[in-house]
Amino acid sequence: MMKYSRPLLAFLALFPTSFAVANSTEYPLEITNCGMEIRFESAPDSTVTAGQSATETLYALGLSDRVSGTSVWFNPVLPEFSEVDANIERLAENDPSFESVVNKRPELVAAQYEWHVGPTGSVASRDQFHELGIATYIMPADCDTKDNTTGGDGTRIDAFSPEHVYKGITELAAIFDVQEAGEALVADLAAREASAIAQAEALELPQDLSAVFWFSSPDQSADPYVAGRLGAPGYMMDALGIDNVIQSDEEWPNVGWESIARADPDIIVVAHMDRRRFPADDIENKLAFLHNDPVAREMSAVREGRIIEMDAHAMSATLRTIFGLEALSESLSTLSFAP
Amino acid sequence: MSLTLASNPPLRLHWHWAWLTPLVLFMAVMAGTSIGETSIPMDTIFKVLANQLWGAGYAVDRIDAGIIWNYRLSRAILAGCCGAGLALAGVVLQALLRNPLADPFLMGISAGASTGAVAVTIAGLGAGAVTLSLGAFAGAGLAFALVVLLAHAAGSGTGGGRGTQAAGAIILAGIAGSQLFNALTAFIIARSASAEQARGIMFWLMGNLSGVRWDDVRLGLPAAFAGLLVCLWHRRALDAFTFGADSAASLGIPVRRVRGMLIASMALVTAVMVSMVGAIGFVGLVIPHAMRFIVGSRHTRLVPASALAGAVFLIGADIISRIIVPGQVLPIGVVTALVGAPAFAVILIRGSRVR
Repeated sequence: MMKYSRPLLAFLALFPTSFAVANSTEYPLEITNCGMEIRFESAPDSTVTAGQSATETLYALGLSDRVSGTSVWFNPVLPEFSEVDANIERLAENDPSFESVVNKRPELVAAQYEWHVGPTGSVASRDQFHELGIATYIMPADCDTKDNTTGGDGTRIDAFSPEHVYKGITELAAIFDVQEAGEALVADLAAREASAIAQAEALELPQDLSAVFWFSSPDQSADPYVAGRLGAPGYMMDALGIDNVIQSDEEWPNVGWESIARADPDIIVVAHMDRRRFPADDIENKLAFLHNDPVAREMSAVREGRIIEMDAHAMSATLRTIFGLEALSESLSTLSFAP
Repeated sequence: MSLTLASNPPLRLHWHWAWLTPLVLFMAVMAGTSIGETSIPMDTIFKVLANQLWGAGYAVDRIDAGIIWNYRLSRAILAGCCGAGLALAGVVLQALLRNPLADPFLMGISAGASTGAVAVTIAGLGAGAVTLSLGAFAGAGLAFALVVLLAHAAGSGTGGGRGTQAAGAIILAGIAGSQLFNALTAFIIARSASAEQARGIMFWLMGNLSGVRWDDVRLGLPAAFAGLLVCLWHRRALDAFTFGADSAASLGIPVRRVRGMLIASMALVTAVMVSMVGAIGFVGLVIPHAMRFIVGSRHTRLVPASALAGAVFLIGADIISRIIVPGQVLPIGVVTALVGAPAFAVILIRGSRVR
């Protein structure tokens, strides 16, 4: 896609293609979702979520009263939803058991990742729910352009773009017959996306900027998990005209510091997270490594102080990707790229 | 058992081949330093080494210099130390327990190290103050202590042939201990891990040399040399143990003390290695057998030969792990198993044919 056309497309996305006013859903509603035909006779009254992005999307659509249980949390809930979330049961912080989900008698299970609800889902396969008359919906951002059978965290077969997030919002809005809320949410996010891109373009950044997104590492100085070229960070870099030094199609490939240092990116984006499983989850440890490691400290980005901190959840393919794009665009304006 | 420890006739290898040892080691370390994820010209590599070793003052890119000196050289040396240490532990355990399947992880050490690592990283034990390495080391020590206690309790029963019985008890206790700690690891992962976290842990459990720096060499090199010295010092005792604990006792060797000391020191060496690079399988099992085939069962030759071969094997495996898939580093345990399993099969077949 030509770069200049992005803001235009984003602008067009503000308007539904039919230019019709938001109408109400006609049931039965049939949707093809992650390769499966699903059918709704009416809007589900009760939903269990497996995945923070599915949960937050439903909250953002004003559907918290239809959510009877949540699970698979990575970060604290977005602050604007902390109040509604406090009243909804968390079945599990991580993977819920099949029975705990079924026990809530939901009409719909909405999942963020296929590895929880999918062909080899750790909670259950979709068929297992369908046999009990429970519908399933997987956020399209995880399957439309992604093969979840290979690579540690799946492998992108095509580039992610916020269109897939917007599709998830629009489809969930149709399922729950709240299409007006869906269109308003998509319009808001698309406007924020367009304005972040416009803001970065106004900076007139150098043409050949490159970057790496560092999520975490299995041990302090071990080979890090970095963003592949087709996931959410890949989209952000592409949208703002930055090259990713990592050329893998895997979502979070494990790449050696030797390769990264030799590629010498202009910018290093480090993930800020509350998770504390690996030493490098702590952003202070990441920064300490960058400044002290005999090789990493020689990279241009470190020597010139072009290190950007970003919320880890914004690096995953969710509606928070837009917040990440905004943060990246904002941070770029504070950096100096003088030769 | 179809494979005995002492019956293969060695190839006629004379002592004057020994001068090759430092040369082979040097070549292996140089290969480990010059081959990596990215290609760096040979002359750059020599310049960097010259700069570091005698301050030659060549102008080289600082990133290249750091990669060669701080990443690759330290990594190759530690790979060599680990290979030597694990192979020696295999030699000792196979001799003491008179079991061809004995390997350094028999004593529950790798299972314990996994549990320790997982307890620190996933369950958050120590609240960030304990590193993954320390957790793994503590876990390994704990598992080893448990296995020894269990073996001691099981081996102190009545019956003839005390020495043989004790060896059997150690093996069984090791299996029980390993199962217990593997279950604990699985329990911790199932209880609190999401897929992304477990992935990092699995990577570490298959062995991972990517985080190695000079600090690790400062710990690994003395550990490997100490292990080598202990084995060489007890080479005659190891020969005697090959014929059974009772024969060793009849030769005037204080069986309990020597066996306990040897097992504990090899457990320590293994635990140090595992805590730095994870559990790397097959080195400790295959190398002693291969070397017995080449230099014979006399520990005067077997001990140094195994240490050398283990070092070269692991440096080589590490090189393969870095280049076999472009742009990606495989867990080294995958490579050692892929190379080691067929090699072991060949040794088994040829060993049985010789007789």
